[in-house]
Amino acid sequence: MERFKLSLAGRERIGYAVVGAVFLTLFIGVVKLQIVEHRDLALRSESNRIRVVPIVPRRGLVYDREGRVIIDNRPSYTVSVVPAEEVAGQTIPNLAELLGLDTAQVRARIQKNLVSRYQPATVKRDVPFETIAILEEQSKKFPGVTYRMEQVRQYNRELGAEVVSGYVGEVSEDELRRSSRQSYRLGAIIGKKGLERQYDELLRGREGTAYIEVSAAGQILGEYTERRPIPSFPGANLTLTIDNDLQAACTQALDTFCCGAIVALDPRNGEILAMTSYPTYDANIFSSVIPETLWQEISSDTTHPLLNRPLKGLYPPGSTVKFVTVGAALEEGIISRNTTLSPCLGGWQFGNRFFRCWQPGGHGALAAAHSLEQSCDVFMYQLGLRLDVDKLAEFYDGCGFGHITGVDLPDEEKGLNPTSEYYNGRYGRGQWTRALVLNNSIGQGELLVTPLQLARFFCGMANGGVVYRPHIVKKVSPAAGGEIVISPRIDFTLPFSQSTLDVLWEGLRLVVEGERGTARRLKNKYYSIGGKTGTAQNPHGDDHSWFVGVAPLDNPQIVVCAIVENAGHGSDVAAPVVGQVIRSFMNKKIGFEIVSTEPAEGGQ
Amino acid sequence: MILNYRSLDWKLIGAALALSLIGIMLIMSAQHYAGSAYQQQYYMRQLIWLGIALFVFGVVVHLPLRLFDLMAPLLYAVSAVLLVLVLFVGSAKMGAYRWFSFGPINFAPSDYAKVALIFVLARFFAYTKLSVISKRRLGVSALLTLIPVALILKQPDLGTSLVFFVILFALWFWSGLSPLYMLLIVSPLISLVAASHWLAWSIYIAVLVIFLLLFRPGFVFSFLTVVANLAFGIITPFMWGRLADYQKLRILTFLDPGLDPRGAGYQIIQSKIAIGSGGILGKGFLNGSQTRLDFLPEPHTDFVFSVLGEEFGLLGSTLVLLLFTFLFYRAIRVAARCRSKFASLLVIGAASVFLFQFIVNIGMTLGFMPVTGLPLPFVSYGGTSLVLSWTLVGLIVSADYHWQEY
Repeated sequence: MERFKLSLAGRERIGYAVVGAVFLTLFIGVVKLQIVEHRDLALRSESNRIRVVPIVPRRGLVYDREGRVIIDNRPSYTVSVVPAEEVAGQTIPNLAELLGLDTAQVRARIQKNLVSRYQPATVKRDVPFETIAILEEQSKKFPGVTYRMEQVRQYNRELGAEVVSGYVGEVSEDELRRSSRQSYRLGAIIGKKGLERQYDELLRGREGTAYIEVSAAGQILGEYTERRPIPSFPGANLTLTIDNDLQAACTQALDTFCCGAIVALDPRNGEILAMTSYPTYDANIFSSVIPETLWQEISSDTTHPLLNRPLKGLYPPGSTVKFVTVGAALEEGIISRNTTLSPCLGGWQFGNRFFRCWQPGGHGALAAAHSLEQSCDVFMYQLGLRLDVDKLAEFYDGCGFGHITGVDLPDEEKGLNPTSEYYNGRYGRGQWTRALVLNNSIGQGELLVTPLQLARFFCGMANGGVVYRPHIVKKVSPAAGGEIVISPRIDFTLPFSQSTLDVLWEGLRLVVEGERGTARRLKNKYYSIGGKTGTAQNPHGDDHSWFVGVAPLDNPQIVVCAIVENAGHGSDVAAPVVGQVIRSFMNKKIGFEIVSTEPAEGGQ
Repeated sequence: MILNYRSLDWKLIGAALALSLIGIMLIMSAQHYAGSAYQQQYYMRQLIWLGIALFVFGVVVHLPLRLFDLMAPLLYAVSAVLLVLVLFVGSAKMGAYRWFSFGPINFAPSDYAKVALIFVLARFFAYTKLSVISKRRLGVSALLTLIPVALILKQPDLGTSLVFFVILFALWFWSGLSPLYMLLIVSPLISLVAASHWLAWSIYIAVLVIFLLLFRPGFVFSFLTVVANLAFGIITPFMWGRLADYQKLRILTFLDPGLDPRGAGYQIIQSKIAIGSGGILGKGFLNGSQTRLDFLPEPHTDFVFSVLGEEFGLLGSTLVLLLFTFLFYRAIRVAARCRSKFASLLVIGAASVFLFQFIVNIGMTLGFMPVTGLPLPFVSYGGTSLVLSWTLVGLIVSADYHWQEY
């Protein structure tokens, strides 16, 4: 049993040994943390307390060609509550009353936007100044309530230019994932549509970074002075080719109709002078959070207010493209300028089908220019048959149909220019007849164009065959100073010789100025005008009404293309719309108000 | 009693005083974070408590040790009564009844019970004629320990109850019991841990039986050891179920800190960051960001050593480790030369309390001990803890002063 007893000296030694071992263990532990792992742990200590905060720069402004504002930033007040400073029975009831909300709503908002008890949780955005004034005056009544300024994008509502401007919004998870080049940050405001998206990088500028010190609870203690903040850099301002007056005139011109679109281009350089889609939406609603109900309402609207009709609306062009048919025939030597084919007797028998002309009484025998003036279908049918599907398609292709225009706006549609290859694919080889070319020759059938494509084609005719690429930005003004002027760019030349163009130009003139012109109601004594009407058959409802106008004829400065959906004949609806837009343009050129021109009787 | 003050162990007193003053500095720093309304309260209170503690120390030094010897049974009985009372009239904090509240003053009877246990065990071991390994001696001393432990576990407070066992083992050891024998006594606890896996447990039991066959500590003792080991192994799952959730979590988080990154694991991680980021020289007084910005939990009590490590670096931490080590060295030296058995045991009991809390508290801040809530003696904020520590220092100093007396 003696082995279980220890001498006093033995115990003392063991005691010292234990104490020494304990000291060594703890000392090694301290050395391990404070020397071996010091670097790593010091870094973790820094990242614990330093929060990186983005400095959001001013987003670039957007002006029209004369320097008038289209998009600017508006300061708005955002009211928040710091939960740590809230006083029960005071803060929430008083704030709810002030903001016109009920207490449960206020509580729910605070809960939703809570980051930490020391950081303000947003309750309401875009609060009027009067409310802020009350908050200031009676601050004792609202313990823990703070407000701050936030820049909100403001779109000029009167212009109806949402189709151009687009809108901004918070970056989505999807966009965050897809972006590799652009450095999007969670919660950043970025361009979602239109110009805002196309020029997002220029408009956004460069975000800066501030370093602030926070406590474990997230309480902000102030600037962290050991790291220099990275300054932000404001976004560039854009000057557009849009003319606000003309833009407003376009919006006004379509106001009485259900749906439609107008594009006005300068044929000499491709500048988009105005572009509107109707109906449209208020881009301002996207600046703050959109209520779910409103979003439902917009997206389920059968008139598709979110559809960008000039760029994405696909329509059969109707008679407006008869220039291509006539031009192709002239180029191919099928007709000369004075050739009259079989006379129009109100239709054309092809196989077992009778293809009608829009004029049941017939047009008789017409040469090229007059067939355009009166928009004779029978003349076109005969040309179409002689050209055949692919030759006609080749000319459509040469005139830019079936290709995007390359405009500096996102999500453009390219339309459809059917070829025999397309028909083989769609119906099967030998399963379709040449009758289809009859449709194509008058702009019906499978052929689909966007209003912008059609306007571009007319620009080519107005500009001696030279087609400029449509563009919307005229000038970029970086915040650092200086400016970059966007120079016009020639895209292609129409596949027509000068003599062919002369015939087509004569036809275009006669549509308005000819005795039997389908748009002779637009004729007036102040300026010359030309154009082409179109009535696009719409399988889903009433015909779409087209008109493309050019003015003045001696020195064309504007091409206006309008489509009014389900409105009937081009001459009845779209032509006066275009007339109104051109009048507004010419008024401004000439400098006095032209009295409304008396409408005359018209055909298709 | 008239003392020759020059003969007091001033080095020991100096070490304890240095630790207490460092503690007040650290508490000041811990409460210094921006926006705190209590900026001055804690260290001022601790300063007042230090005054009280020094007064108690003075009283203890002036009292004859024989008085404690005589009073030991009474003091022990009072401690038991207080521990019962606290269960009924104590103040609750985080679900545990640990304190009596007298206005701003909280009194933890478990701190007082530690001293009472040291007295009563020292007295028992000093005068008993029983053999060191007699069952009766072991049994009575174990019973004296288990009474306060049972009452404290009821509060519940796992960390504090462990201190009582440490006192028992330390006094067993100092009264001559071989550590080998003690190992066999605590073997059921090893069985308890090993029982978490059947294979580990089987191997452990086999090793135990071989050990007993080799050393032959007597048949009855061996038999009881084996039975206790088997029993503990079997009741482990049942015992586990009896632990409070936070106790389970503390044990599990100790085994795997990643388990609860926002709770106990978070505390350990933040403590390690605080100490490690201090480096060699530290971030400077009142300049520790982990402490100041509230990342460090309980910076004035449980994690006061982390504040030290962050603000004063390796130099500060090493100084505190050395001060404690010096204190232990002095205590063992006194215990070894005391002629009075009672005084010698008293000193070892006191030192064991310091040593255990020292290991567990600092070990916790360094991440190799579980979070138990045991304060660091002298340094952590807490009035009764400080008074207790200085009472124990008083006993050591007194024993040293009277070392020649029987």
